[in-house]
Amino acid sequence: MTIATLLRRYGTLIGFALILGFFWFNLPDTFMTARNWLNITQQLSMLMVVAAGMTIVMVMGDFDLSVGSAASLSGIVAGVLFAAGYPIWMTVGVALLGGLVGGAINGVLVSFIGILPFVATLAMLTILSGAAFVLSGGKTISGASIPADFSNFARGGIPLGDIGGVAVMLPNLTIVALVVVFAVWVLLEQTTFGRRLYAIGGNIEAAYLSGVAVRRLKLIAFALTGLSAAAAGLMYASRVASANPTQGSGLMLNAIAAVFLGMTMSEQGVPRILATVIGVLILGVLDNGLTQLSVDSYIRQVLVGAIILLAVAASSFSKRLRR
Amino acid sequence: MLTTLSKTARGLAFAAAAVVAGASGAAFAQAKVAVITPYMAQPGTQAYVEAFQAVAKEKGWDVNVVDTAGDVAAVISRIEDVVNQGVDAIVINVDPTQVAAGLQTAKDANIPVVGMDAGSDPLLATNVTSDGVAMAETTAGFVVDRIGGEGNVVMFVFDAFPPVQVRGAKADEIFAANAGITVLDRITPDVSDGGIADSRAKMDAVLAANPEPGSIKAVWAAWDQPALGALQAIEAAGRQGEGIVITGIDANPQAREEVAKGGNFEATVAQDFAGIGAAAAEAVAGLLAGTAPADAVTFVPTKLVTKENAAQ
Repeated sequence: MTIATLLRRYGTLIGFALILGFFWFNLPDTFMTARNWLNITQQLSMLMVVAAGMTIVMVMGDFDLSVGSAASLSGIVAGVLFAAGYPIWMTVGVALLGGLVGGAINGVLVSFIGILPFVATLAMLTILSGAAFVLSGGKTISGASIPADFSNFARGGIPLGDIGGVAVMLPNLTIVALVVVFAVWVLLEQTTFGRRLYAIGGNIEAAYLSGVAVRRLKLIAFALTGLSAAAAGLMYASRVASANPTQGSGLMLNAIAAVFLGMTMSEQGVPRILATVIGVLILGVLDNGLTQLSVDSYIRQVLVGAIILLAVAASSFSKRLRR
Repeated sequence: MLTTLSKTARGLAFAAAAVVAGASGAAFAQAKVAVITPYMAQPGTQAYVEAFQAVAKEKGWDVNVVDTAGDVAAVISRIEDVVNQGVDAIVINVDPTQVAAGLQTAKDANIPVVGMDAGSDPLLATNVTSDGVAMAETTAGFVVDRIGGEGNVVMFVFDAFPPVQVRGAKADEIFAANAGITVLDRITPDVSDGGIADSRAKMDAVLAANPEPGSIKAVWAAWDQPALGALQAIEAAGRQGEGIVITGIDANPQAREEVAKGGNFEATVAQDFAGIGAAAAEAVAGLLAGTAPADAVTFVPTKLVTKENAAQ
């Protein structure tokens, strides 16, 4: 393996290791601890779920800009139903179904009507966000309307015993994220459905000619992305014990960034779910570590952007060297 | 080697802090304080934070200001991070019920959290804010003085929002205590368009129903928007010469401008944002020295804005 190949395959991973090493050295007592890592996984759980869903459509070379407003809307739907006194199981079910339907509409627009994903999902972003404002009247739904059982979910977890006299638990939100990542891994890596999505991403014409039901698969893929966005919206609502019509908006760009970061790790430059997980971890570890180092929150944003550019540039530069 | 050194230094510092805090009550030189808010873009929040930092600089604290740019869940995440980092105190400027998960983490680690105009919560050591009741008392008192305790008053209230509801209730009490004052109407404007336009429409109707000069002595509004709407209605009806006294609360820029002109809009009340930031810093100083704030809410005095000081 030449240095160029090594850099291309493992450049981002090496970068991640360097970031970890940097924080470990500078925060010797608090960074590389079980407690901190459980915190990080909990903080990242919502982004992880959205990014996992985003990976499904990006495998086909598409993307979905509406995930952030889909997440906000599902939180608002849940909040409105809670305020009307519906039970948790029904509320969660309706919100998830809403996400699935919203995603399916994206799928229809892209695959059956033939609108570019950028345009179709941008329009859906606006529609879903508007719907969230209409349903909530622009207000934050909080306080007594949100059942305690629902908000306690995000605060609970499976006890792991005591570390240094402090009770440590595996947070419920982390468990949800792990389950979603595992499901997407099975779907993309272990089923014909997943292989066909990769075939569509590789060459849509060839996939179509060899009998892949391109339209139907795209529809299903977009519906699953919408479902994951709705799940993340519920996780967010549970964590903040409230619903606000804009609270999911930060998730979309970060999810796409995480998938892009992950793509720099695969040989053919295609999205892989486990690589997406590394991408999400890079973003989350930066937030966690830089906060602990008291680095200005605005500098943090600049750094995150620079790291994405660096990773993608290194990956495409080493690809050019190969030619 | 470096790590060992810094660890030792930290250990020493901790021991010293414990001794100093116990002995003299003075805060240790490099106390770490995190200020976390999603609302840094709001002018009020900027004023709090700047005033907080000014006090913190005097006290020699290491202050880390974190802006999550509107993301409330990220506030919880950053609280968890700074708790893990082992800061000495945390200051938040966000609805505490929405970040209760983070506040609980801080409580479990025995790190005090002070609210800077955040809302009251048992998980906060104290919440530093303006006294809405006192603001209403000030403007209602101003109205009573100006009209000599006699005449008809129109009230603009909004009982659906608790912080504004208490203002209206206080004004009710003060007007009821003056036998010469009659509350002509107690209006709740539709605020979906900001409140000015509908308040103006409602005031138009009140003016039409009371055409006699002197039949309306004053308009008391629970916040500035209805006061501005009422002013527009009075000017449109050509009745600005009757000496109708209008008061608002909040002293927003538009209200200040009107008050400065010296017209019917005679007074409003300004919250002291810098004072809230400074008082939050003092609360933190007390906590670092081992004294908990006396009350769950710490009120910062407000200031009546009239023609004389509106331009400031």
